[in-house]
Amino acid sequence: MAPPFPHLHVCSAYSMRYGTAFPQALAQRAAEHGMDILALTDRDGLYGAVKHVQACADAGIAPVVGVDLALDAPPAGPAPGMRAERPRTGPEAEDRVTVLARGEGWSRLARLVTAAHRAGERGRPKVTRELVGAWAGGPGGEHGFGADDGLVVLLGPRSDVGRAVAARRDEHARTLLGLWRAAVPAVVIELVDQYGFRDATTAVRMLGLAESMGVPAVLTNAVRYLDPADHQVGDVLDAARQLVPLHPRHLDRTTSHAYLKSTKEMWQVAAKVCGADRTRVGRLLFTTRRLAEACAMDPLRLLALRNDPPDLHLPEIGRDPVPLLRHRVEDGLLRRGLGRDADARRRLGEEMTIIERKRLSGYFIAVAGITDMIRGMGVRCAIRGSGAGSLVNYLIGIGEVNPLDHGLLMERFLSEGRVGLPDIDVDVESARRLDCYRAIFDRYGEDRVACVSMMETYRARSAIRDVAGAMGLPPHEIDTIAKAFPHIRARQITASLADLPELRGSRLGDAGLDRVFRLAERLDGLPRHIALHPCGVLVGNSGLLDRTPVERSLLEFPMSQFDKEDVEEAGLLKLDVLGVRMQSALAYALGEVKRVDGVTVELDAQRGEDPDVQYVPHDDQETYDMICAARTIGCFQIESPGQRELVAKLEPRAMHDLIVDISLFRPGPVNSDMITPYLEARQGWRQPHYPHERLREALRETHGVVVFHEQVLKIISVMTGRDLSFAELLRRTLGTPEGRERVRKTFVPLARANGFDDAAVDRAWRVLDAFGGFGFCKAHAAAFALPTYQSAWLKRHHAAAFFAGVLTHDPGMYPSRVIVDEARQCGVKILPLDVNKSGKDWRVERLGPRVPVRVRPDRLAAGPRDAQPRRREFRAEDLGKGYALRVPFSAVKGVSEAEVERMVAGQPYTSLADFWDRARPSRPVIERIVQVGGLDALHDLRPGGPRWKPGELTRRDLIARIGALERSSASGVRAGPRASKHYTRPLETRPSETQPSAQLPLGFTEHLPPGELPEMTEAEMVEAELEILGIDVSRHVISFHDELLDLLGVVRARDLLRRRNGSEVLVAGVKVATQTPAVRSGQRVIFTTLDDSTGPIDLTFFESVQGHCAATVFGAWLMLAKGVVRRTGVRAVSLRAVDCWDLADLDGLWRSQGIDAVRDLLSRTPGEPAGVGGRRIEYPNGFRLSPYSDIAPAVTPPRRLWHASPGSSGPTAA
Amino acid sequence: MSRLYGDPIEVWTRDGEPIQFVWRDRLYLVRRVLDHWVVAREWWKTSEGDPGERRFWRVDAGPGREVGSYELRYDTAANGWLLLRAWD
Repeated sequence: MAPPFPHLHVCSAYSMRYGTAFPQALAQRAAEHGMDILALTDRDGLYGAVKHVQACADAGIAPVVGVDLALDAPPAGPAPGMRAERPRTGPEAEDRVTVLARGEGWSRLARLVTAAHRAGERGRPKVTRELVGAWAGGPGGEHGFGADDGLVVLLGPRSDVGRAVAARRDEHARTLLGLWRAAVPAVVIELVDQYGFRDATTAVRMLGLAESMGVPAVLTNAVRYLDPADHQVGDVLDAARQLVPLHPRHLDRTTSHAYLKSTKEMWQVAAKVCGADRTRVGRLLFTTRRLAEACAMDPLRLLALRNDPPDLHLPEIGRDPVPLLRHRVEDGLLRRGLGRDADARRRLGEEMTIIERKRLSGYFIAVAGITDMIRGMGVRCAIRGSGAGSLVNYLIGIGEVNPLDHGLLMERFLSEGRVGLPDIDVDVESARRLDCYRAIFDRYGEDRVACVSMMETYRARSAIRDVAGAMGLPPHEIDTIAKAFPHIRARQITASLADLPELRGSRLGDAGLDRVFRLAERLDGLPRHIALHPCGVLVGNSGLLDRTPVERSLLEFPMSQFDKEDVEEAGLLKLDVLGVRMQSALAYALGEVKRVDGVTVELDAQRGEDPDVQYVPHDDQETYDMICAARTIGCFQIESPGQRELVAKLEPRAMHDLIVDISLFRPGPVNSDMITPYLEARQGWRQPHYPHERLREALRETHGVVVFHEQVLKIISVMTGRDLSFAELLRRTLGTPEGRERVRKTFVPLARANGFDDAAVDRAWRVLDAFGGFGFCKAHAAAFALPTYQSAWLKRHHAAAFFAGVLTHDPGMYPSRVIVDEARQCGVKILPLDVNKSGKDWRVERLGPRVPVRVRPDRLAAGPRDAQPRRREFRAEDLGKGYALRVPFSAVKGVSEAEVERMVAGQPYTSLADFWDRARPSRPVIERIVQVGGLDALHDLRPGGPRWKPGELTRRDLIARIGALERSSASGVRAGPRASKHYTRPLETRPSETQPSAQLPLGFTEHLPPGELPEMTEAEMVEAELEILGIDVSRHVISFHDELLDLLGVVRARDLLRRRNGSEVLVAGVKVATQTPAVRSGQRVIFTTLDDSTGPIDLTFFESVQGHCAATVFGAWLMLAKGVVRRTGVRAVSLRAVDCWDLADLDGLWRSQGIDAVRDLLSRTPGEPAGVGGRRIEYPNGFRLSPYSDIAPAVTPPRRLWHASPGSSGPTAA
Repeated sequence: MSRLYGDPIEVWTRDGEPIQFVWRDRLYLVRRVLDHWVVAREWWKTSEGDPGERRFWRVDAGPGREVGSYELRYDTAANGWLLLRAWD
């Protein structure tokens, strides 16, 4: 029997918006066909290379890697008399060649791809013959395939040679082929026949050319599909990639034959090309096979981690890293005051042994160098994740968490049995993250460091957009259809139409879009484009580019084509530098405290000697009082409705409590129902329960409940008598059902042999089984708890500055108007935009005289705190008294950074015209600034009063004047200040306050008397504020509905606590958050938070009411809901929603038909309960998960606040 | 010169290739396949279901000793053959 055919030209899904099959599926199919070699030659990059090699190794196939690259268009035009223009789309648009790496040629291939990306535009790499030649390696080798570590170029029908042959320009083709052979040692002619029109003719002629010039010829199928039926997906991708509708002219194919054909099918193709000449068929297939064998590589060359020992790519630091690191940790011991600590020394010894055995000393040195540099730039930097568990990280200054203080274990980070690489994660200020990257690149150079990439893949919305676009639907319809879907996977589209009540109601399923949806589902998960990973940075040596190809990211950072899994598999070490907005918010708040109050706050030091510095001890009970009162909106990690409920119940009083709190609020603990037993034991309602007396030590800190990964390790270690490394190995296996079964078989006999009786082993096993692969690493939680506490401390002691930071850097889940409202409730005054006082970002203003410095170091010496947690009187409204926040220029919709800079630089202004002249805002921007009152103070406007007073200047007058200003100044923005022909700079530059309502002191050519236009009403002001700033500054938007709400007897948030448990009430507010997290029952539960200016109202919509509520919950902005009161803690209450309505609709009904009509509507009985469909995902411990949980729902932004009804311009101002 | 016809014909095949066909009441034997290609239909314009594929053969064939070139088309959706054009 003939040997199997090797496919040498195969594009996978990693040929973005071109290929349709994943490498794994291709390798599997090849194995099913009995093939033993398979190539992957993705377009423009090696994005799928690691996955291909892995898949081939797993399938027992030898991998070949290559790349399909576009040729740079030749500078000289086509020969005279030939077609001059190339089409912009379709297969003729560009010439492409395929480059294969020989068995040892990976490094050259990676370098060629990097060079091609450097040569072309971003995302459109280009090569020339010379460029390929530069990396192709030396001559030699057998059969004309070049050196073993070289590259082979395949010239197929899409190459310049192929085009010339197809155009019957034989002489030109011979010349081109000659040029290729002169530039590259190994050139091969590639024949393709996909049964398209003229395919066969071209192939026959190319074979003739190859034979006449003595060039080897091989056969490929230029594969891009797994099955013939995938061609429809391919067509859609062709259209989407080129941004054109489906039309044969734009498509890359005429037939569906570009699939992974079997050996027999390929033999038929060969026979067709060779005209049934058996000798030629044999020779063609033999050459193809010989080339494949010459290019087959050892999978371990690329899969560095599978080698033993792993073939790591280590950073170079100039000298021998081992003594250097030893030296550094020794210094660290002394610096941290641990020099005499025997525990620390023992722990350090253990860690250093593992680090040195794994040859990772240099990695730690390099990372410490980077974190030192980041801190040296004045950027806040904190360690996060399992790395916080390592003492070495603490000693050499990578992190500030001492693992010994919190009982953190190193094994979660780095252990003997762990196969992967250690991963150090650091959080930096989000606003400075790119600065940090730049500094790293500047220091180490682009040869040694690169960012990690990630693939953006097709999901429901993007798939619908691309398919509908290809099918030629109008853009606004596409937008509406796509936005109707929540952020689900593309393959859930059809199912979700039937499952989700809000989509059922939309009738999208009946709109004749079946084919769009069906095709969109088939795009599910296909890579769409490559993007910078949010944090990964590769740290390597000068040989980094031999291992990974690198291209430019959108922000011009060098970016590896490997994602984070590939990077690890390839043995590359990385550091995660994650931008955390809260860190930026904290830094900003500290700056404001310093600027306004002159106080320096040392957030990271608990105590110190400097009398002018305020230190932040971790046991400040005033901060904990605020947390216990669930007043945590804005704080890191504990601001969600669920967390506010949990902190109110848990009543944290120390850092450890916060660590537990953060760890409990995770799918793992929720899933194995650990919260209730923990709270009961903590409150003393129940004795702590330990599975065995010997586990008391491990579980005492959490009252017998397993919360942390570290505790799982300790349980396994105690029960089996083995070390923590071994325990970590078992814990990592707990993730899958099969893994748990394997662990049970190891764990149970070991524990019995270790002297535990059957019942104890059984109890312990049940805990481990339930814990599964979930749970939280305590090191991670400890790293999180620090910023959580710091943010709460700042909110408690410097509320205004804290809110300024949060509003400027937006770190949390709530929109700014919620934060503004929380600030208002905390006693901070919100001041409107003012062209003379606003800054670029939110600024704190002090209302009264300067308060004495509130540094009270003596309080620390007040003695041990009471054993009993005290609940003190906590009054939120006093937190920010005496301070105000000023709306900044950057909050104005559509304002550009340059405009903001000019506006701030030009302060103070004397008039509208002065502002227009010097700040040079665009016309829409200045109009918006006037609309939200940015010039009220300057021109002494007092809108909101009686609508019209003759002769008094109004905001609308100012807007009219902007028109006049623009007409009188030269059109367009200039580089210099605006100057107009009719405009002369006023001699009198005194502020206009002397004559507030007089004509502006300008040489206007048009006369505009003040008071010509009516002033804005309060409702119009708030509407403008919401539209332009997204924040209701002058008053809370719900207040316009007070009359209706009072008529209906709606309960306000602050009064909810006084309601009986189980009573049914009406509530109303602005919807500020909607979440559908994973919950234990497997339902899709919608948690919604309303804000009614007196506090947040948390509503829970269970599936039974979603049939009639879902559309309103997701669609409405102002909402009225009926719910049953459920007390969840001493100071916490939540509502189980029964029904809900759009408040804007009710308002319209009330205005047109009266209050009785509204009452009738509210007393309706909901229709048949219709829940959420979809198969639940079941976990063995009884946990079920809705397929629609944890997706961000479709959010509809408000367009108008009130329904316009005839004769009414909005609700009457109260 | 070729002439266009588009007549429905009956064709016998072996291994997926035409070997003889009847056109205007005469039986033609296929001597040689000159070319074969496939054109997929513009599926997005057609109705649901298999939009079909059109397979073309250009063959040397003849009813007797004289041989001409003929272009045959098979439509998978309609499951029918046409004689498209002939060179004589």
